[in-house]
Amino acid sequence: MNLNRTLSLLLLAAAGPAFAQTSPPGCATVEVHPVRPRQGHLMVAAYGSAESFGKQPLAALRLPAGEDRMTFQLCGLTGASVALTLYQDLDSDGQMARNLMGIPTEPWGSSGTAGPFGPSWSTGAVPLDGKVIVVKMSS
Amino acid sequence: MNAATVSANTPARRRLLQALAAAAAAAAASLGAPAWARPAQAADFAARIGGQPLLTPFKGVDDRSGDLDSGPLLLRGRWPDELRGRFYRNGPALYERAGDRYHHWFDGDGMVQQFTLDGGRVSHRGRLVRTAKLQAEQQAGRFLMSALGTHIEGGPPAGGPDAFNVANTNALEHAGRVLALWEGGSAYALDPRDLSTQGPVTWRADLQQVPFSAHPKVDAAGHLWNIGTSGASIVAWHVDPQGRLAGVQAGESPYPDGMVHDMAVTERYLVVPLPPVSLDFGRAVPEGPRRFALKPGEPLRVLVMEKADIRRRRVFELPPQMVFHVGNAHEAADGRLVLSFVAAPDAWFLDQAAVAMMAGQSPAAGGSALQIATLDLRSGQARVQALPGYVEFPRIDPRRIGLPARWLVTGAAWRPYEGRSHALLHGVQVLDTHSGRARRFDYGPAAVVEEHIVVPKPGRTGELDAWLLGTTFDARRQATVLNLLDAAHVEDGPIAQAVLPRALPLGFHGNFTAA
Repeated sequence: MNLNRTLSLLLLAAAGPAFAQTSPPGCATVEVHPVRPRQGHLMVAAYGSAESFGKQPLAALRLPAGEDRMTFQLCGLTGASVALTLYQDLDSDGQMARNLMGIPTEPWGSSGTAGPFGPSWSTGAVPLDGKVIVVKMSS
Repeated sequence: MNAATVSANTPARRRLLQALAAAAAAAAASLGAPAWARPAQAADFAARIGGQPLLTPFKGVDDRSGDLDSGPLLLRGRWPDELRGRFYRNGPALYERAGDRYHHWFDGDGMVQQFTLDGGRVSHRGRLVRTAKLQAEQQAGRFLMSALGTHIEGGPPAGGPDAFNVANTNALEHAGRVLALWEGGSAYALDPRDLSTQGPVTWRADLQQVPFSAHPKVDAAGHLWNIGTSGASIVAWHVDPQGRLAGVQAGESPYPDGMVHDMAVTERYLVVPLPPVSLDFGRAVPEGPRRFALKPGEPLRVLVMEKADIRRRRVFELPPQMVFHVGNAHEAADGRLVLSFVAAPDAWFLDQAAVAMMAGQSPAAGGSALQIATLDLRSGQARVQALPGYVEFPRIDPRRIGLPARWLVTGAAWRPYEGRSHALLHGVQVLDTHSGRARRFDYGPAAVVEEHIVVPKPGRTGELDAWLLGTTFDARRQATVLNLLDAAHVEDGPIAQAVLPRALPLGFHGNFTAA
């Protein structure tokens, strides 16, 4: 991956559908909900293939948690499909919290049809076609 | 408008990627509900149940009928004035939403029943447990989360085991709150005054959603002992009589991903049967029977752990069989452990009977029987004695939990009544474990007998100085009946009954708290 790539984030406090239709090339509008308002940070990663999923992201972001429904623009994306994975780092310690048994306890989500069992390329990949990428978080 | 920029190779980004990758793997490995069958249809059950009067309670309740205040009940016989307290039961109750219906009895959302016994009066209240799952599905108007035996498409990401928690297996009042218990997640706390749901119990911040299983044992001093399992991990819980966490220990299970339902305690040990059955959580399997089966070549393991340090343990291997419930365990004078439990030669009930009844079909033949194992901690040798008769739901005098107990109470089936198998119990029995002789009462072919518990008579100390308290479903009246029997004269049948104006869903387990 290009180490010089800079991944930019534009967080829209009150994004509307009109914005969602106007993403520049290499960017996508991402809508995330439900977010636990103003608790910690959203940790975002975007992958471009099954081979790189969970290993080599196209883009990664850390941004303060805002309101219940957040919309932002994610750039640095290439290819025909992309899969997004997120978790909400409630305590902002930079890692997914786990209980005594190692079970993750902070909210997470994925693009596509996340399903209940954790993100994967096959369930998370969506077309990179300018449409809004919706990510539903666990509650 | 805010803006943030993250460089591609910063330490922060690497931590983010590591966390996400690890979270994905952990979530896939440890969150769980199966991808089994898609939902059944409520209309199919409705069309079939007309010819199965014993199975009508499997219709279940809805969001409205799941909150019941029956008030004072119709009484028969004489309810003793000195019997005062609250009898709780829990079980799956809500099976249908938006025309979809669960396949498996164990799938249903839990409903706690509270019978208040007060100086000869008996009243009843029932409440669905307001789990996070139930609330989300009430709001959505449809099922969202997969269950043990039913796959639900399109659900949201699960934020941990409690996303699937139906709190439907047992109810126990301890230290001033009612615990609605399920095998795979947190206990849910309810207010004993009105059964309102207070929420999941988090005993300590780092113990959020650590499974707190459904069969804790409370010893005579009021200390509560429990286990929880997830994947390869097993946790041992100790809660003091005031309801405070007194200890928690984590270790490795000798049979990862297995179904672990019940446990026993002794003065020094926790005793956990581990049948060779995996729940296949998260793995797609074809619809149909034999989803749950004993794994060939694997024994029934019994894990014995020291309460003081669960790393000091021994695993016994017994003949392969399925176990849901233990009766009791105690330490014999020679240092060996004696464990009573109910076992079946295969996973027939979990795999087929619990599915057939939900489909409005009488389950095929089958049954489970009592066994008594003697476990030698020094040699690792185990000896098992099988007792005749089809039984389930073993209970003892609660003052003797973990201590020698001679008498063991179970539901039982022994008569070949037409149109029913031994999956549906028709009687209750009191077994003398010293002689092997049992005394029984038969509620008859129109009754489905649920768990009967032992309630000591106030001021008395003998094991049979007690009442038996339990519910039956009377198919002729299509109503649930609360029964009281004298433990010393079980064969005489109920000395008092309280009849509800309706049938409650058939439940699993319960406990009594004296007023």
